[in-house]
This record gives sequence, structure tokens and C-alpha cells, in this order.
Amino acid sequence: MADRTIRVLIAKPGLDGHDRGALVIAQALRDHGMEVIYTGLRQSAEQIVQAAIQEDVDVIGLSSLSGAHRSLFPKIVEVLAKNEAEDIPVIGGGVIPYEDIPFLEEKGVNKIFTPGTPTEEIAKYIQRLIHPQAETSLNPPEKIAHIGIAVSNIEHALPFYTNTLGLRLTGVEEVQTEGVKVAFLKIGETQLELLEPINEDSPIAKFINKRGEGFHHMALEVQDIKERLQQYKDQGISLLNEEPKQGAHNSQVAFLHPKAANGVLMELCQHEKEGE
Amino acid sequence: MSSSFRNQQEQWKKEAEKVTERFPERKETFETSSHIEIDRLYTPDQVDEEYVEKLGFPGQYPYTRGIQPTMFRSRYWTMRQYAGFGSAKETNERFRYLLDQGQTGLSVAFDLPTQIGYDSDDSMSEGEVGKVGVAIDSLADMETLFDQIPLDKVSTSMTINAPASVLLCMYIAVGEKQGVSKEKLTGTIQNDILKEYIARGTYIFPPKPSMRIITDIFGYCHENLPRFNTISISGYHIREAGSTAVQEVAFTIANGMAYVDAAIESGLDVDQFAPRLAFFFNAHNQFFEEAAKFRAARRIWAKIMKEHYKAENPKSWKLRFHTQTGGSTLTAQQPDNNIVRVALQALSAVMGGTQSLHTNSRDEALALPTEESARIALRTQQIIANESGVADTVDPLGGSYYVEHLTDKIEEEVNSYLEQIRDIGGAVQAVEEGFMQREIHHAAYEAQKNMEKGEDIIVGLNQYQIDEEVHAELLRVDEELEKQQVEKTQSIRENRDQLAVEQALSQIKQAAQHSDINLMPLILDAVKAYATVGEICNVLRKEYGEYTGM
Repeated sequence: MADRTIRVLIAKPGLDGHDRGALVIAQALRDHGMEVIYTGLRQSAEQIVQAAIQEDVDVIGLSSLSGAHRSLFPKIVEVLAKNEAEDIPVIGGGVIPYEDIPFLEEKGVNKIFTPGTPTEEIAKYIQRLIHPQAETSLNPPEKIAHIGIAVSNIEHALPFYTNTLGLRLTGVEEVQTEGVKVAFLKIGETQLELLEPINEDSPIAKFINKRGEGFHHMALEVQDIKERLQQYKDQGISLLNEEPKQGAHNSQVAFLHPKAANGVLMELCQHEKEGE
Repeated sequence: MSSSFRNQQEQWKKEAEKVTERFPERKETFETSSHIEIDRLYTPDQVDEEYVEKLGFPGQYPYTRGIQPTMFRSRYWTMRQYAGFGSAKETNERFRYLLDQGQTGLSVAFDLPTQIGYDSDDSMSEGEVGKVGVAIDSLADMETLFDQIPLDKVSTSMTINAPASVLLCMYIAVGEKQGVSKEKLTGTIQNDILKEYIARGTYIFPPKPSMRIITDIFGYCHENLPRFNTISISGYHIREAGSTAVQEVAFTIANGMAYVDAAIESGLDVDQFAPRLAFFFNAHNQFFEEAAKFRAARRIWAKIMKEHYKAENPKSWKLRFHTQTGGSTLTAQQPDNNIVRVALQALSAVMGGTQSLHTNSRDEALALPTEESARIALRTQQIIANESGVADTVDPLGGSYYVEHLTDKIEEEVNSYLEQIRDIGGAVQAVEEGFMQREIHHAAYEAQKNMEKGEDIIVGLNQYQIDEEVHAELLRVDEELEKQQVEKTQSIRENRDQLAVEQALSQIKQAAQHSDINLMPLILDAVKAYATVGEICNVLRKEYGEYTGM
């Protein structure tokens, strides 16, 4: 089953005649190695469901630009259930206002793609939807690798951490490429990193100039950093680094854009196993 | 200077004088902000035969520079915004508001069930009633739609194709009830079925019977509605489906030739119907190519009508066209950017000498436009007309090395497509074989790939994106409307003279297979008896079958 070619039914429910999007997506999915059946225009919910069952498809893609999606899309989910075929997921697209998406999802549509979605993203979505096992080889991040705190001067900052909190300083390192001096403080399984700029071009210098000292980023310990970056990119997650780069302590790191994580600068961090 | 140039120039001057008697120029003299006087037309100092042959003078064959001698110096293009939603009553209120604001032309959008010949209570109509336009089932709806709107005072453009005959008959019947005779009615029906198979999708019957209905309309209108445009041959939807500019013109003109052929075959003389043919094009993003496209289309059509069809009336040679800006170029992301896109596209249509123009609203990638968005769209045209000065001389791009090259090149490539289509056996055959559909699909897919690879930049979509909150105010059609419309139509059915309806429908059925009987008078009888759009179309469905696509 896992190796079977993904079969997709692209369908135009209702009376809408705009099929440019449906045809372009059908072609793009074929170029991604899927088998695509296109129903043609003006299909009733029953016709679409019958075609989906007969063609043994893995997913149904609906397209509507006439504003009738609120009644047509849920109808198909309903008829699928009536035919005991509710395991076939339904996705959709077209001229669909954002406000309608929660309603459609509540009615059992798996996902709505709005105008401007790259076909690549739709293809990847379907692949993940149908073969989730291909994705679970990437485990969720294991732990918080460290929390980065921007400081103007490590020497001035350290007494609070080492004396007041009583944390152990495990090392100080300069990372020239980032223009930063880092102090590592062990706390349980994870670490705090104090980050001091060593020149004016350092991102930390800019950060402090703009916002003052304080919480700077959170790093997550992961495996397969390269594949993970690729996968995030395919999902449309904004990345600051599309390729991993060398970090402190013999690690590979990459940053995600803060908008990907609600304003938090998130770092992915992969340490060489034998270094532990 | 060649004598032929001088003759033509003299003739143009005379014609311009004649025209300005009826439509005086907007100002006595035109000038720029620096008081530089603007002439009506600019030509090269040294002209040759080539100039006369390729460009000529505005209002003269081959009309490359425009179909009227003074163009927008006398009158701006018609600003005609497409509207219609929900019930006939709501749309009527909107129309009357627009007329109060000084608009003289109406443009009716019908909902999909009406366009495909289903009544609102048909199971196929579920969810679609009143969504993309007004729902019309019977004459009663049409009476409501034009209530208190004098049909001898307005011109009405109706975007209706497969059931165009039925809707036109309803329009005639409303006119009769108002005491307006047929010959006074003005307006346009889209009535272009070939592009429905190619790109737009609201077909009902197969191509052959559809062509027969169209020629029946041509013949009937020639005798009864001499001021009505019987067809609007449309490249708009072909372009929206993803074609290139060249394909848009080529396939539109190929379709136009198929209608001319069919009409001639049905026994009409070319000059009897050709002056009432109108065109409808798209204005897309590439400014100079679009302007050149319109100029090339005029020249190509003029040559075909004069040289190929031997039309003698100059009105048969003139390609008159409506333009709408490109809906598919609008983005859902940063929708206010669409205002700028629409302005540039509209400008290219004006540079190309359009007769009328619809500017799209910024929110069309999201939903039907709100009133505010529709107003900005109209204001965009008004700014181009009144503030930019581009309408102060005729064909200001004429003579640009680049634009003339593009015009020639487009003509050349269109002609090569026309040859290909002729070899296939004409547009009807090419449609049936899916030739145009395939060509368009290839172009659409290529455009999508180029966009995704970042080779073509769409601002706000694949570059210059921002995080945006989506909080657009959008127009929604009341879900209750469908129920009310269904009830209204069912009550009409209960209260009409059922025998009269059945007799009228059976007359249509009998005539359907006899192409020597014009269907129009029979359809007119049926709509007057309150037979519905769905009932009339169902009779013809039984006779002709349904087109099911490729």
C-alpha cells in the first residue's frame, strides 16, 4: 500500500465552468508522479463519490469558483459517508473566502487551498496526507537544547547566573562567524547561553540596540536537520537558513523565521552523537 | 509624400469634421500642462505606402489606429461595469441606483443555473442560485429585473450564451409590456457558444444545434431588432483560462469566422449581420503587448471581412470591442495591489482604442466585489479618462517602433494559428477535437510553472510577501434567497395557463429539427406564456442532446 502510486480525483462540483485551476493542478500532480482522474465539469455529489469509489482514489480534490462551496463541499463529505467511503479525504480550492475555511473544515473537508498556493505545496500535502509514515521517520524535537539570552557583557551578567542561581558555567566560546561570544550554563538536561556581541555587525548587537538585553532565541534538539528543513520549506514555513550551518560545540544549526513560531526566534540544533 | 496618403488624409479630415458635428470634441483645443497644443492625430512626416496599408487613419480601413476618426477626443469609451447578484428585485434596485448616477448602459450578470438553462428548483441548481449573478426563471423575474427601467432609454448587455435566445425573448416581451417596440431595443447578448466549449463552460447543447440557434438569432434580429448586437465574440474567457495574447486573438477571430460562415450558410448576406457583431477582449499585465494586441485584432478582422468575405459595408469591417481587465491576474494576497494592476490594464485597453471597459474590483480573487471596491474600480477609469490626458490624441502609441513591431508580430502569429485552424476544418471542428483547449492548457501550465520557479514575479505572491491579517469585508449572498426564488417560480407555475405553455413548448419541439423554421418567434410565444428558462431548454435538450465535454 505504501508504495502504491497515489491516485487523485480532481472534481468540479456544481455548475461552475472555470477549470483552469483544476486542470493545472491535475497536470502538476501528474508531474509529481500521481495518477489523476479529472471528472470534467458539472458533477453532482453522487457522481463524484461514485467516480472516487470506482477509481479507488486516495484523495478527492474539489474546485469551485462560483461561491457555492459552502453547500457543495460538505455535500460530498456527506455522500461519501453514506457510501461508507468516509476514509477518502477531501481537499478543495478556488475562490473561497478565508472566513469559510473553518466552516468547511468543521464539515469534514481536510484542507482548503486558497488562490496563489504553489502546486508544489499541494502535491507535498497530498503525499504527507496519504503516506504519513514517510514523514514520521522524522521524530519531533527531543528537548530544548538551549535558551539564548542576549547580554551586553558576559562578565557583568555571569554573577547572577553562577552565584545567585548557582548554575555551573561549562565553557565560554567565541563564534566568529556570528560575531558573538557565548557562555554556556548547564541547567538540568539543557543549557542557558549568554550571548555577547563582539562587533557592531553581530546580530546580537543589532538585537540589543533595537530591543535591549533579554530573551533572544530557543534552540530545539533535533535529528535529520537537513530533511527537516526541506520538509518545513515544503510546508511553506519561513526559514532564515535553508541549509544548516556550523554552530558551537560541533553542532549544525539553522534558524526559523520568528513568524513561523508566533514571534519566537527558533533554532534547530543537531549535535554529533559521539560528542555527547 | 505619396498621393494615396494625401487622399486618405483628406478623407479622414472630412470624416472627422462630419463626426464632430454630431459628437463635438470635448474641448475646443487640447493642451498639456505646459500649454503645448495637442493635435488630433500624429503621423510620420515622411509617409509611404506601408504606412497607409498597415496603419491608415483612424476610422479608415484597416482601422489599426481606431474605428472612429476622433476617438476619445469626442467621447470617452463607455464605462460599463458588470453587475448582478441575488434576486431580480435586488438587482433592479442596484440598476436603478446606477441609472440615477448617470450610467446609461446596464450589464447583467446571470447566475449559473440561468446560464446553463436550469430553473432555480432544479436539483442541479442547489447552492448556485443567485451566486454569481441574478436568477431568472420566468418572464416574471425579467419583469421585476427591469421594473421602472424604460427599455427604449437604456442599452442592456446580457452575459448569456447557451440560452441567449430565451433571455433575449424575455427582454423583447418586457419591452412589449412597456410599449417599447422591438426595433427600438438596444444592447448586446454575449451569445458566443464556441468559447463556452473552449474556456467558460456554460454550454448546454452540442456545437451544431447551438450554431443553428445562433444563426436563428442573427436572422431574427436582422429583421426585428436592427439596433441590437447579436453576439459578443469573446476572447476574454479564453485568456482567463490561461491563453497567451496571440491565442486570445487567434481563437476569438477563428470563432468569429465560424459564426460568419454559419450565418452565410443559413442564407444571410454578410452585410446583413456583420455590422452587428461585437467583440470582447481581456486586458492583461504586459502593457505594450496588450495595446498592440487590440490594434492587431482590428487590422486582422478588417482584412478578413473585406478580403475573405467580401463585405462591402465598412461597418462590417470594423472590429468593435468591449474590454475587461484580467480577473486571473488579481491576487488574494495584498489585495489593494490589485487596484494598481487594474489601472495599468485599463490603460492598455484605452491605448488600444476600446469602445467600452469594465475594470475589475480589487477583491475578486476572494469573492464578489463589495460596493466600495466596485466604486474604486469605476474611479480608476474615470481618473484615466479625466486626469491622465491619454485620451486627448488618437492612438498615442501609434508609430512607436516597439508597439508597431508587436502589432505586426501578433498579426503574423495570429494568421499562422488561423491557417492551422483552417486546416483542421474550422473553429467548430477544432473545438470538437480539443485543439484550442489543449493549446490553452499548455500555456496555462507553463505560466504556472514559471511563476512557481520564480521566473515570473507576481508581487506579493512569490516575492515581496508580507504577513497579513485577512479581514477583508466581503459580499455574501443571502442563503435564504434560493428558497424564496424556488417558491416564486413554483407559484408562477401554479398560476399560469398551463395549456398555453404546453402548446408553445410543443411548437418549439417540432421546429427544433427543422432548420428552415426560425425558433425565435416560437420561443417568444413560450416566454410570454411564462414557460421557464429550464422548461424551454429541457425541450431542446431532449431534441439536441447535451454536450458533455472532452
